[in-house]
Amino acid sequence: MRKIWRGVLISSVIVVSVPVIILLMIHLTPTPPTGEMKMAREALVKAKRNNADIYSKRLFTEAKTFYDSAMMDWQKQNNRFLYARNYKKVVIFAEKSSKKAVQATENSVNTTVNLKVKVKQKIESLNDLISDIDLLFTTYPLTPEIRNRISKGKLTLKEAEVLYDNGQYFKANRKMTDSEYLLTVSYENASADLNNYFKSYTLWKKWIDKTLNDSRKTRDYSIIIDKFSRKCFIYLGGTKKYEFNAELGANWVGNKRLGGDKATPEGMYKITKKFAGSRTKYYKALLLDYPNDEDKKRFKSEIEKGSLPSSATIGGLIEIHGEGGKGIDWTEGCIALTDKEMDVVFKIAKTGTPVTIVGSMVDLQSIINR
Amino acid sequence: MKNKFLLGLAAIAMVAVLSSCGKKPQAEIDATNAAIAAAQTAEAAVYVPAEFTAVQDSMNAIMADITAQDSKLFKKFGPSKAKLASTLTLANKVATDAAAKKEEVKAEVTTLLTDTKAVCDENVTLMKKAPRGKEGAAVLEAMKTDMSAIDASCTEAQDLFDKGNYMDALNKIKAAKDKADGINTELKDAIAKVSGKKRAA
Repeated sequence: MRKIWRGVLISSVIVVSVPVIILLMIHLTPTPPTGEMKMAREALVKAKRNNADIYSKRLFTEAKTFYDSAMMDWQKQNNRFLYARNYKKVVIFAEKSSKKAVQATENSVNTTVNLKVKVKQKIESLNDLISDIDLLFTTYPLTPEIRNRISKGKLTLKEAEVLYDNGQYFKANRKMTDSEYLLTVSYENASADLNNYFKSYTLWKKWIDKTLNDSRKTRDYSIIIDKFSRKCFIYLGGTKKYEFNAELGANWVGNKRLGGDKATPEGMYKITKKFAGSRTKYYKALLLDYPNDEDKKRFKSEIEKGSLPSSATIGGLIEIHGEGGKGIDWTEGCIALTDKEMDVVFKIAKTGTPVTIVGSMVDLQSIINR
Repeated sequence: MKNKFLLGLAAIAMVAVLSSCGKKPQAEIDATNAAIAAAQTAEAAVYVPAEFTAVQDSMNAIMADITAQDSKLFKKFGPSKAKLASTLTLANKVATDAAAKKEEVKAEVTTLLTDTKAVCDENVTLMKKAPRGKEGAAVLEAMKTDMSAIDASCTEAQDLFDKGNYMDALNKIKAAKDKADGINTELKDAIAKVSGKKRAA
């Protein structure tokens, strides 16, 4: 009987203690950091959706590294005895990951907005720069290197626009920077050349004023050639009568220095001879008194300074002639008009008619402001 | 004493049995990871980035679930197994979609390369007909440089295409085509203007 009671007692103890033990075991099991990890993961997902991996790369990478560390430590803790597990470090890593991911999201959103605005503005300003380049330099004899750089810059800007339209602002910004470099450097080089060209503007202005004053005084015809705008103006008594397009020497920028340099001279000249028919190969021609005294003085000085070889010649036979209208600067240094326009000029011109050739009748700033 | 020992043994056996109820679905994890790797190889991140990110996010969530189950006394991997199966399917779909999108982009680049070359050829022909008077020839000279730049860009796009970098090739050829079209319109307008003047005269 005692044995039976003992058995019942033992069974009762087992029946009661097992659930208690199990409940105790469950209760004492360390709580895994599921919530913290979920939070971190969701923050990372949000950051990725906001392109933080592109626009806030450092913060996003840090957030991801903390998350990976949290996962690794979590798995490491899981390999330990159930009651020896400690998820403290996992929680710290997860919280750090969340914090960094939130920062990455904010940073990415701000960067995207700012970059979008920046790229858009830069694209617009570079398109304005292209307009300026086209206005000033389409007919200006730039070096092939600068021309190639401008074309490459334009095309790179187009690529930036394509990327911008696709929402790839980071790549668009990189392309735009390349384009900006190509266009800006080309513009600066070309502008330096142009500024140098316009250095003589004060002198040109003096020549223009004198030519127009003389025209007013004599009430006779005067011709002014504006090299930059490629125009031939005919004045009578100081009033403009005609305006024609002119074509110049292929190397028209700057003054003529020597024979064969394909440059159109700058200065105050006079017509010395008129040629027509078989006496000229360019329909009709008006010969100018190039080189004048100023030209000879300058040429001599250059020879003496050694900036021109002693074998150089000053050149000559600078004319206003026909057969123009080719749309390009093609002469050896002469001024070419269309035959129809040449008829007009030939008719009004006589030996001694002043022909003033200037780099430009308008200053550079006014041209840019146009 | 003997009973106490038996009691302890029973408790340990019970814990061991209960805690090893669920087994980590390692085979499923490996299969899904392999499918994700295959999607990555298929350049899913380039051609279907949103879908690929979704798969990666899903896998990260599953791995966290599995690790969470691993932390418990009574493990239950059933739901994770089901999620792994659907993620595996999704990863395979993403890989297929990426391949399809890649082919689509490839075809688009091929068409654009052909079209751009055709426009460039047409531009060369139009150049010969374009008016040269009144700075026309100088403008044409500037256009020639632009056309050389377009040709160079086409070559670069072709190189990217040959290397299998279709997305970058697409961006490049789109810009080149746009520029070539611009020149084409400019030339046609200039020619039409002259023809119009001639007819009017």
